[in-house]
Amino acid sequence: MLLSRVAERLYWLARYVERVENTARLSKIHSQLMFDLPKSVKLNWYTLVELTSSEDYFDEHYDARTEKNCMWMLLGDRNNSASLISSLWWARENIRTTRDSLPREAWVYINEIYLYVKDNIDDLQVRSRRNALLEKVIRACQAISGMLMGTMADNAAFRFLMLGQLIERADMTSRILDVGGYFAAQEDNPEEVEQYGSILWANILKSIGIYFMYRQTVQIEINGNSVIEFLVYDDKQFRSLKYCSERLYELSSSLPNSRKVLMVIKQLQDLIHQPPEIEAGSSTLHDYLDEIQLAISAIHSVCYQTWFYPEVEAVSDMKNIQ
Amino acid sequence: MHAELKKYKVGTGYDEVLCDKGEPKAAASALVEHLKTLSLSDLRELQKNAEATIAQMGISFTVYSDEGNIDRLWPFDLLPRVIDEDEWKQVSCGLKQRLKALNLFIEDIYNDQKILKAGIVPSEIILSSKDYRPECHGMKLKHHSWASICGSDLVRDGSGNFYVLEDNLRVPSGVSYMLENRAVMKGVMPDVFRDICILPMNQYPYELLSMLRSLCPTDTLQPEVVVLTPGIFNSAYYEHSFLAHEMGVELVEGGDLVVGDDDCVYMRNIDGLQKVDVIYRRIDDAFLDPEVFNPDSALGVPGLMRAWKAGNVAIANAPGCGVADDKVLYAYVPDIIRFYLAEEPILPNVPTYLCSREEDRQYVLAHLEELVVKPANESGGYGLLIGPKADKQEIEKFRGLIEENPRNYVAQPTLSLSTVPTLCEEGVEPRHVDLRPFILQGEKSYVTAGGLTRVALVKGSLVVNSSQGGGSKDTWIVKKEGV
Repeated sequence: MLLSRVAERLYWLARYVERVENTARLSKIHSQLMFDLPKSVKLNWYTLVELTSSEDYFDEHYDARTEKNCMWMLLGDRNNSASLISSLWWARENIRTTRDSLPREAWVYINEIYLYVKDNIDDLQVRSRRNALLEKVIRACQAISGMLMGTMADNAAFRFLMLGQLIERADMTSRILDVGGYFAAQEDNPEEVEQYGSILWANILKSIGIYFMYRQTVQIEINGNSVIEFLVYDDKQFRSLKYCSERLYELSSSLPNSRKVLMVIKQLQDLIHQPPEIEAGSSTLHDYLDEIQLAISAIHSVCYQTWFYPEVEAVSDMKNIQ
Repeated sequence: MHAELKKYKVGTGYDEVLCDKGEPKAAASALVEHLKTLSLSDLRELQKNAEATIAQMGISFTVYSDEGNIDRLWPFDLLPRVIDEDEWKQVSCGLKQRLKALNLFIEDIYNDQKILKAGIVPSEIILSSKDYRPECHGMKLKHHSWASICGSDLVRDGSGNFYVLEDNLRVPSGVSYMLENRAVMKGVMPDVFRDICILPMNQYPYELLSMLRSLCPTDTLQPEVVVLTPGIFNSAYYEHSFLAHEMGVELVEGGDLVVGDDDCVYMRNIDGLQKVDVIYRRIDDAFLDPEVFNPDSALGVPGLMRAWKAGNVAIANAPGCGVADDKVLYAYVPDIIRFYLAEEPILPNVPTYLCSREEDRQYVLAHLEELVVKPANESGGYGLLIGPKADKQEIEKFRGLIEENPRNYVAQPTLSLSTVPTLCEEGVEPRHVDLRPFILQGEKSYVTAGGLTRVALVKGSLVVNSSQGGGSKDTWIVKKEGV
């Protein structure tokens, strides 16, 4: 039993928590990359803006593409609805308004980390302290996910949380895979890029926390193509597109009236199963990932029509369902 | 802390913890012994911990201001208020008696009106009450439970006797804060709970759920109970979600509910509609059903009254129960108890002058500087005149208001509310408190062990409402050692 309104808020809650964690990871790793790469490879902070599709917002509100500006837009800028602090606020707001459907710790955990980031927001401006703060945020998000896993039942509320988490995760994985593309395209010095490619791809794996799993699974040297294969097709990795889409299918089929949702998930799966010949950093890859993102956003829309704002037929017809 | 307690000057009224000479009252002796082991800076440290816990747990309430709604942290004072268990037994009997009589009264008003015919309560008081709902005529409710949840405000006079100051029968709030205060206290001073036998109160949500289930109009074994909130911007939203959470029931907004052609109430679920049997509503009558009441309300559920009148859903508190929550009617409660129960009231009223009565009005107008004047139908401590603290201009304003609309005003002598030692800037000082216990009436009656103690944090102030800068304290009903 679950109210449509509550289902929607739970779905968004999970999306925001996932987004907060991914944003924190991405920013942290981007800084790491800066330390690792030689000065001759000009790493671009603006990549972070492009990754989150925030170019319009950035160009309107910031004058220079500096580290400080890019990081602030991504993390601390309250007016940017996609920033870490905004996502955290929205996650908190979604728990505040569904507190009755979740374990009490859910509210306490998110409230705690929100207050902490809010009180220490200036740390985001200083590189050394920023990383410590981001580390704390990542841990808090993991604690929330783990706590929900450990204390909830496999009921409708939990499934909507999972649904939101998976959709956001698949979206973020597809965006991160695009990093290589931005990276390659923006350097004047292709040989050098190639030379440091393994550092780049290792950091990408780290940015989503699965470097270790990659090392365990894939024995070859780290390169773009193998990372893409890992993140797109490996059906055992929680963050791979294939895994996310299969879980989405499974979850949705356990939820009521899911015929249309399953149809659009199938479209995403078709894309994943029949990939074009792709290569890291190529425009084919970029276009392919674009298609994936469109498919994900289609799933999102159908979830709305199906569960969150369904057309309510005449009450007398509906009674038979209960 | 020893020194602090010696310095403590009991006010002119009754102090809940200390006697005139600074010795503790019997029920408070263990507490005071414990406090003596702490220094003032220890106390301040504990107070800080309590506030940090409140922030971490996100215990808040919403205040309406010019800038919009803001969530404020719940104000809490570390030093508890203590009441002896034997004394509390008496008080709770009095509260149950009062609510039972009030419920019989409400049912009578919407049916035979025996009490009006007998001339005990003047008809015009009922007919002119803004919470009288002619739409409820002919309704008889299971267990006569109209006001199923009541939060009565109690105060003590100078000699320590409890009085009922008012009955809140519509959508009384505060019970979640009562429970949270206890939870915070247990975290901050855990030892005390080992050493002192303090009656628990955290069974309230289960009692509430069992009461609500007992109202179910059908014989289904698993009644579907929901809490109906006006939404996330309401000042008591925290409480609504707290109670729904603790009871494990759905928290719904008006838009989540729909009334079918069969006059049954359903909620919109992800898999369609599900029948609802009992609604604990936390929205005012006027917004409950746009078909019957305020047509512009987007908060309520069209057809809800139809479903209720058809006996397909129970609503707690029932529509129309506010007719007994009128400060004019309050003056008649002792007579109401005598009329329906043929018993003497256990808890007295504060003497009340009704401005609608010629004689009372003359008295009130002549003694405005000594009295507290209250509008008959306001809550939250708004629109009050506190005579002894008012200036000339304010007194003249109220003179005008009373003359213009005497029905809407009552007056009471200014009570010197009792005090409790409170941690203040200068140290431990007496501050005025009241007490709001919660009473349930369904198949059975239940009274919380204690209630929400609200404290006026400003020196000398009598205003305890949290929306106006009041704070709160944990309330201990203490069982005597070895008993």
